[in-house]
Amino acid sequence: MTFRLGRRQFLMGTSALMAAGAAGLTPAFAQGATMRLIFWGGQSRADRTYGVTDLFDAATGNKIEGEFLAWNDYWPKLATQTAGGNAPDIIQMDYRYIVEYAKRNAIAPLDEFVGGALKLDGFDEDQLEGGKVDGKLYGISLGANSVATLVNTVAFEEAGVEAPTNDWTYDDLMTKGEAFAKANIRNGMKMMADGSYSEPMLDNWLRQKGLALYTADGKLGFGADEMVEWFNMWKTFRDAGVIVSPDSQALDTGPLETTMLVSGKAALMPSNSNQLVGFQALVPDKLDMVGYPRLAAGVGGGHYRKPSMFFSVAETSANKEAAAQFLTFFISDPEAAKILGVERGIPCLPQTRDVVAPTLDEANQIALNFVANLGDLLGPLPPPPPAAAGEIDLSLLRVIGQEVSFGARTPEDAGPYFVSEATAILERAS
Amino acid sequence: MTVQHVASTSATSEVPKTSVWARIWQQDAPGYLFLLPWFIGFFGLTLGPMISSLYLSFTKFDLLTSPDWVGAGNYVRMFTNDPKFAASMRVTFFFVIFSVPLKLAFALGVALLLNRGMKGLPLYRALFYLPSLLGASVAIAILWRQIFAGDGLVNKFLSVFGIVGPSWISNPNYSLWTLIILAIWQFGSPMIIFLAGLRQIPQDMYEAASLDGASKWRQFWKITLPLLTPVVFFNAIIQTIEAFKSFTPAFIISGGTGNPINSTLFYTLYLYQEAFGFFRMGYASALAWVLLAIVAAFTAFSFLTSKYWVHYDD
Repeated sequence: MTFRLGRRQFLMGTSALMAAGAAGLTPAFAQGATMRLIFWGGQSRADRTYGVTDLFDAATGNKIEGEFLAWNDYWPKLATQTAGGNAPDIIQMDYRYIVEYAKRNAIAPLDEFVGGALKLDGFDEDQLEGGKVDGKLYGISLGANSVATLVNTVAFEEAGVEAPTNDWTYDDLMTKGEAFAKANIRNGMKMMADGSYSEPMLDNWLRQKGLALYTADGKLGFGADEMVEWFNMWKTFRDAGVIVSPDSQALDTGPLETTMLVSGKAALMPSNSNQLVGFQALVPDKLDMVGYPRLAAGVGGGHYRKPSMFFSVAETSANKEAAAQFLTFFISDPEAAKILGVERGIPCLPQTRDVVAPTLDEANQIALNFVANLGDLLGPLPPPPPAAAGEIDLSLLRVIGQEVSFGARTPEDAGPYFVSEATAILERAS
Repeated sequence: MTVQHVASTSATSEVPKTSVWARIWQQDAPGYLFLLPWFIGFFGLTLGPMISSLYLSFTKFDLLTSPDWVGAGNYVRMFTNDPKFAASMRVTFFFVIFSVPLKLAFALGVALLLNRGMKGLPLYRALFYLPSLLGASVAIAILWRQIFAGDGLVNKFLSVFGIVGPSWISNPNYSLWTLIILAIWQFGSPMIIFLAGLRQIPQDMYEAASLDGASKWRQFWKITLPLLTPVVFFNAIIQTIEAFKSFTPAFIISGGTGNPINSTLFYTLYLYQEAFGFFRMGYASALAWVLLAIVAAFTAFSFLTSKYWVHYDD
């Protein structure tokens, strides 16, 4: 992985960038095509996206009609439209679903357009790989992000505890957390949210042990012992008052407003690098970002640069080439880049990053620097999760995690139970 | 129609037929025409989807690929090997058993108060109906959180008495009760129906009872309640069906998860998760048909027992 971004590089290569931009603007293909675009996200993402579709329409004479929904509503709608043979031309796709959609021929392989309508010269290799299924390109990554721990820096100052850095470990979580609890600031604020049923946190912890959440052939990548150890570790934190109480954590039902960081119950929270901007808008204190804790000093490899989302093209689209042309425009046009910023993650084309970097505000700068400087925290991109991963997360990990946190199940019981149930779900889905 | 008339018209073979059709057309067609929107809705939007859902309940169907016939497999799994099905059943029955009687009692209580001929009745009636109009929205989810969270209103009130309450809404022991309270709070429509029922009870009965020296309490048990039983019965059926179908409160308040620890996993929420979370349309269809059977059984049971306690005033 050779993703490095120094300030000097931002200022270089302006002419190359102009050339790349001009390529995207050339209306060399069919004009007057009307295409539908569907994506998940909030209003801020929609405003940016429509800014770019307007530019594209003006530059090429095509017309793109956009539609956006919240994540939870998005997948039922997309599946229904796809089932009805009425899928939108351009589809925002997630790493979790791309294999399923590709294998069912719901989205089209884009290899035939590469070098033509789809210009990917210099595109980050790992991000390109992330969009491939069985060696064929089904999705163009719109940005890279990484898991990250969000830090309320002001709360740490008030507590008189030094805020964690990328070097912090799970032992630090304990010692810092005890000092933080002793300071008793803001009505008993705890140092950290409960991460015991956070799937990305478990994944990161397993990867540091050289294991994985799922293997490449879609099986569970760990055993009951690890799960017992994991739940016991968090139980120790919970009993010591280092993390929030179980009924506080259960208030977090998904929306940012309900999270421990925003409701002021914790100063640290596991999240994603591209979400700092969203959180900063809701928290008056200045936020920062560090990696997830290390297993021990010097142990890394838990993080990876995940394609935050893709654009794919529907197999049923009548305008695949024009759609590919739009993807090129979306990832490489300088004006588009300025509108999009890093809201979908760090852009995957170097010249686009160069355009974007100087325009960023502080929160976005933090996110960009974090992803660019993961160092030894960074490991390889794991294979796409199996189709049942979402179910295991939602109806198993979260429920068992809550059972353990509320004391309804012991870690020793929860470990084997989790593994047997997860295995059953994986078998049933395959 | 006279015999002679029939005989005379049958002389020309085509005439009687056309006249019958013409009569049907003239007499009944306007009726059917007026019913047409309902027919289109019923066949297109209700019966059609129901039949296809019945078919789908015997298949494995993920929306993206065509359905595979699995026979009774979905139903077998449901009753033999699905702990979440059992959990959602427990939650739903608990909800129905507690929310329906409490809601009806509350609605009747308020209706009795409003029926005492106070000033500004329309205003109070509208105010009490308001919560029902709000339904289960995001605003309600936030309101409930403000009331029942660890640092919410309820606990602020309790702390006056030195009681430290839990976070009711996110504690698996109490979270379902916050949803039951939400259901009771939305007592508007049974209240309106009770109020109408109370107006139907002849005043002279109360006058006669008063002359005989019956207390208000006795009047309620001996006059009001017996004469109101048809309305109670109607409300009970409607509210029971509503409670079984209840979806949005749990969906909104738990963020669609049914957590903490599946304590608010209503049957319909589980059905939704299976269908639109995990794309098991076949299994979800089977769940829907089992729910229909349960509601139908409950309603039939209510009707069968009604003759022992519902008094129709003939």
